[in-house]
Amino acid sequence: MGGSDDIKFEISQKAYIKLVLHALKHPSMAVNGILVGRLSSDTTTVQISDVMPVSHSACALLPPLQIAVTQGEEYYLKEGELNVVGYYHANERYDDCELGPAARRNGDHIFRDFPQAAVLLLDNKKLDHLIKEKGRDPAVMLFTRDSSKGWRQVGSEGTDKLVLKEPSAHALLADYIASKKWLEIDDFEDHLDDISKDWVNPNLFK
Amino acid sequence: MVGSGGLSASEAAQLDRLEDQATHGGGGAWEYLCLVRRLKVRRPEPVLRLGLSLLNDPKARSKLGSEEWTLYEQVAVAAMDCQNIDVAKDCIGILKKKFPDSLRVARLEGMLLEAKGAWAEAERAYAVLLETNPNDQLIHKRKIAMAKAQGNTTLVVEYLNKYLEIFMADHDAWRELAEIYVSLQMYKQAAFCYEELILAQPMVSLYQISYADVLYTMGGLENFQTAKKYYAAAIQLTGGKNIRALYGVCLCGGAINQLSRGRNKDEESSELPALAAEVLTKEYQKWAPEKLPLVAEMLKSLKLS
Repeated sequence: MGGSDDIKFEISQKAYIKLVLHALKHPSMAVNGILVGRLSSDTTTVQISDVMPVSHSACALLPPLQIAVTQGEEYYLKEGELNVVGYYHANERYDDCELGPAARRNGDHIFRDFPQAAVLLLDNKKLDHLIKEKGRDPAVMLFTRDSSKGWRQVGSEGTDKLVLKEPSAHALLADYIASKKWLEIDDFEDHLDDISKDWVNPNLFK
Repeated sequence: MVGSGGLSASEAAQLDRLEDQATHGGGGAWEYLCLVRRLKVRRPEPVLRLGLSLLNDPKARSKLGSEEWTLYEQVAVAAMDCQNIDVAKDCIGILKKKFPDSLRVARLEGMLLEAKGAWAEAERAYAVLLETNPNDQLIHKRKIAMAKAQGNTTLVVEYLNKYLEIFMADHDAWRELAEIYVSLQMYKQAAFCYEELILAQPMVSLYQISYADVLYTMGGLENFQTAKKYYAAAIQLTGGKNIRALYGVCLCGGAINQLSRGRNKDEESSELPALAAEVLTKEYQKWAPEKLPLVAEMLKSLKLS
């Protein structure tokens, strides 16, 4: 079982926008969630097609994540034969670009069942810039890991280790921000506080 | 159902309704702003927007009488939260003219320095104020906030601990410290904070649940068993409807089952998780039936149904 050195990652507009909207809904807190998708048939690319937002106030505690992963795994497998392929995290502070211990630990939880797992950390400064410029790259830092080593950042400016599938993502995101779409997204913790709230967010992009 | 932010569902609904109404020209901006102050929620964007519209309307402003100054303060803070330094500066300037020797205004000036990122200056300003007001709670809080904003977690922990030695009844501070300890994965210390909170306010289910969450995250048979007790206490406190607590009992039941594999299972101890599983199932049937299969599957995997 080798490392993920040759694996590429592709994230869909839907997944990326949900991730950003989740972070925008809780600007003064850390948020996290899981990445959903599949390994391409030629095993070169992990295709992240959706995300499941999980927490906004308990990112370092196990219960919400554990329940979310259990139910999310089941749901996405049935819905579209998708697996849990990673974890995302957005730090509390604007200029904090470090993958903290809690995020690493949560990433490990996912890595156990999917060795090509990606951990995505939202890069707030980059996000501001990319939305303005309608840029092509996603505003996230990509981390992968080997069984022996911890999470390491992969790629940097200009590499194509992680690509946004649809080039229009930031243009669409700018529209959504203008219309305050982040108010409509519910995460798993919102569901725990009121189970009529749906963490699948089926009507978000309708 | 109680939200995790401490607001009841009806309070949150009332807040949203007023915000919506005032935003769409239906009046009630002042009621909304008062409610935000009373409930101590953080909604800087609407507060800034609606507050400014009142302040820029001379008729509306004169109706406020002496409350006008409270509004300037509220808008100044919201402006800083939205990084609108100019508006904040204007409001504080007006307050300074009206109350030139006020400590309250001096604190706002300190906050403005913080908002501009002028940490050293803000630090100095607060140090001066503390000389004449050594036990001013709000200035102590600003010092903590600044350390937090600069990402200096060690300093935050130090300041918060010092703060709590003086202001030991500040429950929000205990909670804040607990949450920071959790983010640092210092679970034992976080647990201690929650123990203080539970002692001080035994009827607040949120503390019992957070404590249990920390114990569950720490893991180990003893912690699972204690966590189960506290989730159970929260269930009792909330009349059996708190979903987090119900799930918590189930998770603990599952974890204890796993660790006790092969050993004699205590019949009595598996009663509660089974009951919680039943209640959870009923709740989902009522409020989120399309999710019920997922929950049922999960409960099966925990060997609870």
